[in-house]
Amino acid sequence: MKKMIKVENLYHSYNNDDNYAVNDVSFEIRKGEIFGFLGPSGAGKSTTQNILVGLLQLQRGEVEVAGYDIKHIKNKMFNKIGMSFEQSNVYGKMTGLENLEFYRKLFDVETREPMELIRMVGLDGKENIKAGEYSKGMKHRLTFARSMINNPEIWFLDEPTTGLDPAIAANIKDIIRQENEKGVTVFLTTHNMHIADELCDRVAFIVDGKIRLIDSPKKLKLEYGEKLVDVEYFREGELVKDSFSTVAGGGKDRLVDVIRNHEIQTMHTKEATLEEIFISVTGRGLV
Amino acid sequence: MIKKILLLFQRDLKVSVRNFITLYILVVPVIFAVVINIFSPGINDTTVEIVLLEGENPEQVEYFKQFANVTLLETIEAVEERVRKRDHIIGVLPDGSQEYFILTQGNEPDYIVDYVKNLTAFDHYGIGTEDSTAEIVDYGRDIPPLKKLMVNTAMIFTSILGGMIIALNIVEEKTDNTISAIHLSPVSRMGFIAGKSLMGVFVPVVSAFLILTITGFRNINYFHAFLMIVTSSIISILIGFIEGINNDDVMNAAGNMKLLFLPLFGCIAGEELLADKWQFLFYWIPFYWTYKGNDLVLSNSGSWLDIIKYAGIVLGISIIVFLVLAPRIRKGLE
Ligand SMILES: Nc1ncnc2c1ncn2[C@@H]1O[C@H](COP(=O)(O)OP(=O)(O)O)[C@@H](O)[C@H]1O
Ligand SMILES: [Mg+2]
Repeated sequence: MKKMIKVENLYHSYNNDDNYAVNDVSFEIRKGEIFGFLGPSGAGKSTTQNILVGLLQLQRGEVEVAGYDIKHIKNKMFNKIGMSFEQSNVYGKMTGLENLEFYRKLFDVETREPMELIRMVGLDGKENIKAGEYSKGMKHRLTFARSMINNPEIWFLDEPTTGLDPAIAANIKDIIRQENEKGVTVFLTTHNMHIADELCDRVAFIVDGKIRLIDSPKKLKLEYGEKLVDVEYFREGELVKDSFSTVAGGGKDRLVDVIRNHEIQTMHTKEATLEEIFISVTGRGLV
Repeated sequence: MIKKILLLFQRDLKVSVRNFITLYILVVPVIFAVVINIFSPGINDTTVEIVLLEGENPEQVEYFKQFANVTLLETIEAVEERVRKRDHIIGVLPDGSQEYFILTQGNEPDYIVDYVKNLTAFDHYGIGTEDSTAEIVDYGRDIPPLKKLMVNTAMIFTSILGGMIIALNIVEEKTDNTISAIHLSPVSRMGFIAGKSLMGVFVPVVSAFLILTITGFRNINYFHAFLMIVTSSIISILIGFIEGINNDDVMNAAGNMKLLFLPLFGCIAGEELLADKWQFLFYWIPFYWTYKGNDLVLSNSGSWLDIIKYAGIVLGISIIVFLVLAPRIRKGLE
């Protein structure tokens, strides 16, 4: 399988000190894959992505994107990649349509019809309104639509559904799947486990700049599923709910500890969600 | 690459025309030119203007056309009305038989009136250039120094306006956060900077030519003018970038460009008022040299060598400033 992205021992510090926002990160993404980068906010997801697309200077490590070495970025590379930003960034003084018409002309490759993209993200009828008058969600959709305009081979999506209402988020999810079926490789950054669970072929769990694990959601569930115990117990007179993995992260010890020292209300095993697996692997929530 | 640079420029121009502040800035030079004309009226033309009755004496018309700008009107009333207008046009009307009288408004300079009197007399006696040993010279007048000063200042001022628009456009990109999107297209960093800079050349060039045309400087060497304008715009472009990068607010960015007014007006005042031994104080200001170069352009007395010398000095100073500011500009646009 052809590798579209190769990252080896990537480090990044915003202040050029030992305080790493990205700390020794390595992974590879195969052609046609949807790769999810999951972690709570501040984990270093956007930082990693920004280095991969050249928005942040590579400080240490090896990065190859679409066959280009990021140390010596060639402008041509940008014909092959697209990126939807976490914070929408479109020209407020131009209409939605003008934004796309302008952007498409910057590329040297065949581009998509702006109106087609506008319809895809449900902005038709609003294309002649200045983007400055769009709602936050509409701007976000325009930014998302723009990222597809050059038919990218690798598509970087930074929190593509965050802050959108569920119906629209579902629409965005469908578009990502459709594009992926056409062969587009997707690097998806999110703290939304449902999106990741439904879309990703493989996920990386990242916390505090470090990757804790890389695997497919399916395998993770096989491994961790049914080995999760939900317990309701009394602690200092209050009813508390907790989940313990019997596989990873010292969950077993903690479970024994709870059983020994507290009064148990209910206790049962169940299939883990990706979110619960994340928590039990990293010991951290996703917010 | 050139295509993409032009594309970035086109976008800036389109958005600038839509925005009230930038549109206003674009219109300012025209207002300047009109104001200058009001202050120093009637020198639009360097040739004498005469108005005649149409069909009355075609031979006379042909004769006058050799030496003056001739307007033809159909009735005596129309001619009288025309003469009463603000400029210095003079009427020549038949007074029965073969005689003519000169119709003036009263405020025309004597030499124009005398010139027209002479022409009328020469025509009457059938004297052509071939009959005379004396040459009838064109009464081109010197340009009033005050007008030259105002036009010169206005021309340099427009370069600052160009810088102002650049600053505003950069603030726009920063607030919309769109620079990162441009960086993710196959446009190089330098291409982006070049595209953003074009506005700073376009505004002064177009404005200066508007000012020159409106104020009547039509017989100057336009290549010389172009060279002086383009070199003077570099410094304003650089400051425009820096102000755009340093400010997040449109009004502050435009307002801080006022910093350039001080050296501009300072060096002009210095050039005009201070003795030669103090002139060196202004040598570091590029506007000083532009002003000197423009002066030659406006009085049509500069040689290519003069113009290249002044433009070259301006370019030299600007390059030094560029070398100092370039890293900050590059970094500021990341
Ligand atoms: N421009 C910046 N300057 C300094 N620190 C930053 C900057 N951007 C992000 N950080 C820090 O780097 C860490 C990782 O941030 P980020 O990559 O944005 O996380 P994520 O996308 O996973 O939410 C955080 O601790 C954040 O505070
Ligand atoms: Mg982020």
